[in-house]
Amino acid sequence: MSDPSSINGGAIVAMVGKDCVAIACDMRLGMQALTVSNDFPKIYQYNNTFIGLAGLATDVLTLSEVFRYKVNMYNLREERDIEPETFANLVSSTLYEKRFGPYFVGPIVAGINSKTGKPYICGFDLIGCINFAKDFVVGGTTSHQLFGMCESLWEPDLEPEDLFETISQALMNAQDRDAMSGAGGLVYIITKDKIVKRLLKTRQD
Amino acid sequence: MYAEHFSEPATSHVASAPIEHQFYPYASNGGTILAIAGADYALLAGDTRHITGYSINTRFRPSIHTLENLGGPERAIVVAANGFSADGDALVRRLAQRAEWYTYNHNKPLSVSACARLVQTMLYGKRTFPYYVHTIVAGLDESGRGEVYSFDPVGSYEREQCRAGGSAASLLMPFLDNQVNKKNQYDAATGLPQVATDLPLEETLKLVKDAFSSVTERHIHVGDYLEIKIVTKEGVKVEYFPLKRD
Repeated sequence: MSDPSSINGGAIVAMVGKDCVAIACDMRLGMQALTVSNDFPKIYQYNNTFIGLAGLATDVLTLSEVFRYKVNMYNLREERDIEPETFANLVSSTLYEKRFGPYFVGPIVAGINSKTGKPYICGFDLIGCINFAKDFVVGGTTSHQLFGMCESLWEPDLEPEDLFETISQALMNAQDRDAMSGAGGLVYIITKDKIVKRLLKTRQD
Repeated sequence: MYAEHFSEPATSHVASAPIEHQFYPYASNGGTILAIAGADYALLAGDTRHITGYSINTRFRPSIHTLENLGGPERAIVVAANGFSADGDALVRRLAQRAEWYTYNHNKPLSVSACARLVQTMLYGKRTFPYYVHTIVAGLDESGRGEVYSFDPVGSYEREQCRAGGSAASLLMPFLDNQVNKKNQYDAATGLPQVATDLPLEETLKLVKDAFSSVTERHIHVGDYLEIKIVTKEGVKVEYFPLKRD
């Protein structure tokens, strides 16, 4: 358990629905088995694109600031919001820059392309290899449990409210089987003209 | 093995490290098992793929064992010991022998709870050189209700409504919590947590097949066929269900 990516714990998941996407995370911050905080969200919003960062908490916070800086610079240069596809490539190259001394994170990106209206999700490994997924992506110490839940609960073309229920049930039941994550949940449901943020009240053990 | 061909001539071997040999007595043969207890049935299912490393040894090696002739069809007990299959087979063979002796010595059928205690003593008996298996025992109790017992490799055990074991247990178990024990589900009208009720056999069978089909997608140890053994008062029924073979 001296593995950097499983010291602090965490669960993240993103799903595609009908003209919508959802991204969710747990709220735990731990040091090995000790829970330090139950108010540690792992999802960050840049323009209308979201990133979930699970892994070593110090790298989560560092990267969230790096991406804030880079997206701000992009906005100034381009005078427009960044699209999820563009942001995903920015994440990828930022991570690969540290190929031989990586950030210990497993990010997930979710958003809707403002031009095409197409939902977009993808995941990465710690050095930036992109996993384009049509259905769902998972990450964090709870990834096995999340794969089991998502593979059995998810179906194509879910409406926003059904997608919320699906991603929430997937997250909650997965994190209840992982001692390293839990302590609440945070879900964003993203449609073209509305973003809904919901906090999940869950068991705290 | 190539080292022999490319090593230095014998004269330079004087200062080289001694050749070490070691034997590791365990292996992992993959596969996943799953048991669910109902009001009038108990079910034990597992995939039939048998692997070592990335190789598939066989696509069809049934791993759910039935202990019969314990006194009528309703007294049948189903057992699976998943993990290192040589140990699993050894455990199940010895358990079958001990179950037979039990009926001769006590002149009564072996109950599932007694079988579970027997499994505990057999597993703990090898505390210092354990059977490398996750064991599940299922059957009907005296009143005909389904019961499931699950064990760790050294005999720690518990009676449960449902349990997944083996390679993909971590994928299956949260799904079972949610769908069988209704965890994290609330009644829309009252806002109270939903209580787990016994599922009808038809619904359980659908759930098990769905669960294994999903797990087959994401875990390379699982696939080929699903074997389901169902214990009812009529005896043991066996069902096979094809899974993806990739």
